[in-house]
Amino acid sequence: MLERHLQALHTDNPGDETPAAARERLKGRFPPGATRRMTTLGLLVGNALAELGPGPDDAIVYASGYAESRALEGFLDSFPTPSPTLFQTSIHPSAVQQLMIGRQAPVREFLPLSGGARLAFHALRAALLSPAPRVLLCGGEERGTWLLERGLASARTFAFAAALSREDAPGSLGSVRLSRAGGDGELGLESWFDLLDGRTAFDGLVAPGWRLEVVWR
Amino acid sequence: MADSAAPVKVAECGCITALGDAGATHAALLRGECALRPVPVLGRDGGQAVPLALLPGRLLDEAAPPDWLEAVRRLHAAIPGADWGSPGRPVFVTGSNFGVGGLYALRRTGDASFAVWGAPAACTERLRALLGWGPDVSVISHACVSAHLGLLLATRAVEAGLAEEALVFSFDFLSPFVAGGFHALKILNSGFPSPYRLCDSGAIGLGDGAAFAVLSRERGAWALAGQSVYNEMHQFTSNRGDGSGFDRCLEGVAAAARGRRIWFKGHGTGTLDAGQLEVSAAGRAFPGAPVVGWKGSLGHTLGSCGLVELAIAIESVRAGRTPGTIGGAGPTMAASVATESFENGAFDGVVCASNAFGGAHAAFLLCHA
Repeated sequence: MLERHLQALHTDNPGDETPAAARERLKGRFPPGATRRMTTLGLLVGNALAELGPGPDDAIVYASGYAESRALEGFLDSFPTPSPTLFQTSIHPSAVQQLMIGRQAPVREFLPLSGGARLAFHALRAALLSPAPRVLLCGGEERGTWLLERGLASARTFAFAAALSREDAPGSLGSVRLSRAGGDGELGLESWFDLLDGRTAFDGLVAPGWRLEVVWR
Repeated sequence: MADSAAPVKVAECGCITALGDAGATHAALLRGECALRPVPVLGRDGGQAVPLALLPGRLLDEAAPPDWLEAVRRLHAAIPGADWGSPGRPVFVTGSNFGVGGLYALRRTGDASFAVWGAPAACTERLRALLGWGPDVSVISHACVSAHLGLLLATRAVEAGLAEEALVFSFDFLSPFVAGGFHALKILNSGFPSPYRLCDSGAIGLGDGAAFAVLSRERGAWALAGQSVYNEMHQFTSNRGDGSGFDRCLEGVAAAARGRRIWFKGHGTGTLDAGQLEVSAAGRAFPGAPVVGWKGSLGHTLGSCGLVELAIAIESVRAGRTPGTIGGAGPTMAASVATESFENGAFDGVVCASNAFGGAHAAFLLCHA
């Protein structure tokens, strides 16, 4: 069995908030001028991750299926004179880099994942296998526009960041356990986010041969 | 984090490049062949001719379904074993492009058939069905160190006893999307790359590439004796000027390589600053180790380069001869840069290193199991 303890958690569930409103809401959380080129996902994930105070010895596991959809749309729209800024911003895993580069904050281990129906399971397994004392598991999506119409972007904007430690400690929020089991299941990123956002307990199959338990204190 | 104690072995490994499979690529590199050719940066939409190494017969323009699928099928057919993606035999798919070229074609033409492979999840899911994998398929995307991270995660799964064997599969095929992006950054231009050469200006080439490695605890002639990663988070497209990011990454592997005679397969895209920083750091971490880079011939195979070049490194050790650094002429950035091929029988380890946007660094030590 793989187990880690939830020491801190930040979720952001902004509903139908526009990118401009998100920028206005979160601009005070970043250095002056820094938000001008940040994506919505960068703002939300960056803010959630910043709440946990990422340090150089933390491992960061980042999960996003569609990543910077608006920057990607903008980059595609910029042809035949493609935008260098939108190119670099659209590259997975820019959301985390927007925060960490802004802070000039190096980190030893940074594991960015993408995926679909089992993305949360794969990110959790990567997090629980990391040897780092503290793993920051973060992720999210941003709502697309014309890519969304083609089924190539998320319909929902959300972000989360959770600090996972090996040792339990007073004040911990709960525990996350992965163990081998018979059967099959799925756990996508949005479902995982809803579990975290609602502090909802979970015990079920999330992948072939894998069971997840989320216990809250 | 350096996983220097991991006893995980590479049981199988292979690749395809513009020069062929691992054996053919290695042989062509020994002959000093360059696969890069000038190609309009936006394919049929034109633009400046830039150095690209496309698979034989493949166009830069995206097709629907993608015209690289057959190459992926052929590569996959070379992987022994079955039940990949089942419990105990996970797959780690890595890359930095997936089907993103389809998004460019979708936007230019409006043809919905290009959307089918466009997103990483959809692309991987279709590939999973095509190749007969089960559902345990992780997708790792961290630009040009993606394949290294796939190896790291697969190693951990095997080492922890959660997998009997793990398959790391990586693919990156060029499109106007990625060529246009690097061209916009001005590092892809009409110049051909001259890795580790003292030049007036730097330039990179890009290449198609795909590769696989089967990792096992029980079998395999090659050991991943140490793996290390480090992320500078200094700037999106450049490294700290003091080279500390390279040092921090390589120090993890240097510890595992202590007492071994090493040759160093660097990232070596052809950019000047990164090339100089890398050669200097390699000299500090592995004094006397010859440095080679193959992207002057193959182009930069992007997120897959770590796995493509692992396959060529293994082929080099198998054959007893390491191809030298290809591309350009004139003085090198350091005496350690090998521009000619060399016998490698006296060496007992290879360090393979890659770098990526965000100042990401990754390296591993490969040696006989």
